[in-house]
Amino acid sequence: MISINKNKGTPFRKSQNGSSNKCRQIRAWLHNITSSRLGLDADWVQNHIVNCPRCHRRLVSVGKVNLALSVMKSQPHELDLLMRANTQAIGVLKHSLRGAPKAQKLRAMRPEPKLFERCSKYTHSVANVAACIAILLLMKIGIFSSMDKFQTKGQKVVEQYYVSQVGEDLADEVFSA
Amino acid sequence: MFGKAVNYELIWDFSVSGAVDERQRWILSAMQSYGQELVTMLWRILGNEQDVCDVYQNTFLQLAHYKSRQKPEHIKAYIFRVAGNAAVSMLRHRSAEKKRLSTAIVGRKAAISTANELDSKYLQETLRYHIAQLPGHLRDVIMLRDLAELSYAQVGGILGISAATARVYRCKAIQLLAVWMDKEREERE
Repeated sequence: MISINKNKGTPFRKSQNGSSNKCRQIRAWLHNITSSRLGLDADWVQNHIVNCPRCHRRLVSVGKVNLALSVMKSQPHELDLLMRANTQAIGVLKHSLRGAPKAQKLRAMRPEPKLFERCSKYTHSVANVAACIAILLLMKIGIFSSMDKFQTKGQKVVEQYYVSQVGEDLADEVFSA
Repeated sequence: MFGKAVNYELIWDFSVSGAVDERQRWILSAMQSYGQELVTMLWRILGNEQDVCDVYQNTFLQLAHYKSRQKPEHIKAYIFRVAGNAAVSMLRHRSAEKKRLSTAIVGRKAAISTANELDSKYLQETLRYHIAQLPGHLRDVIMLRDLAELSYAQVGGILGISAATARVYRCKAIQLLAVWMDKEREERE
């Protein structure tokens, strides 16, 4: 459950798992409702766009801007552009900076994908391994808890047998020791 | 005696310049940290490799001479804003030059027909032209958010505004660009 901290004015999360799950469900439900009724995919919005030439034109224009931005982003540059730009920029710096080992490194620098992008190809296998580990852990926890249950149940059965055969007092003496 | 004094002066000069150089090593570190993002942004704004190299060089030259070779407090913000402004100036200069040339060539409008409206090069050029015409605060957000692909929080940090304000500015910028692009299409028709 999310509530507002009066002292700081920031939201904080209560530790109860049940209530936080409920909150999450409510948030998801609200999001679904608002997006289905107020989003661009909502039926009444789509109907309006079809019948209103002004909105239709506006939507097309915004779509065109987004398309142009995507095209702009998708255009690749030469692989050595960073290298050339660095070389040109270092060329106007002071002599001692130009001769620094870091400058040599920068002159030969090529664009590298970010760590997240580099790791993205391993996400599938990492997810598989994580799933296997989770299953193993669950199995292990399940086995151990079942063994404990067997032990306590067995002890109770034996205790019951002794109570019925030799009496409660003797049985208590035997099992309390 | 005089010769010795001159020698000492040279040594003093050398040691001072050495200290200055040592203090300016952060320029190379900044180039290493932000160079790639900056080149990507400049390439998307300008679309010409030589122009990218020129603006990049100009940015780091300005950084090296910032307030008598002092280190700016927020290097990333400084670099991105200087580069963005330089790129837009270059874009404006280029479009003015193109306009001047195109008026001399008769029948330019006929060449831009509705058929090439979806031509990617034409779309990019039109968008670049309109981005250069945007008001400064909207243009900065579009350049940093869409062309440099920074998060709204980073954009807000660089421009000194909140992430929510950056979101609003981007929305306004897109609307304005859409209106301008639509107007241009109508004028052509």
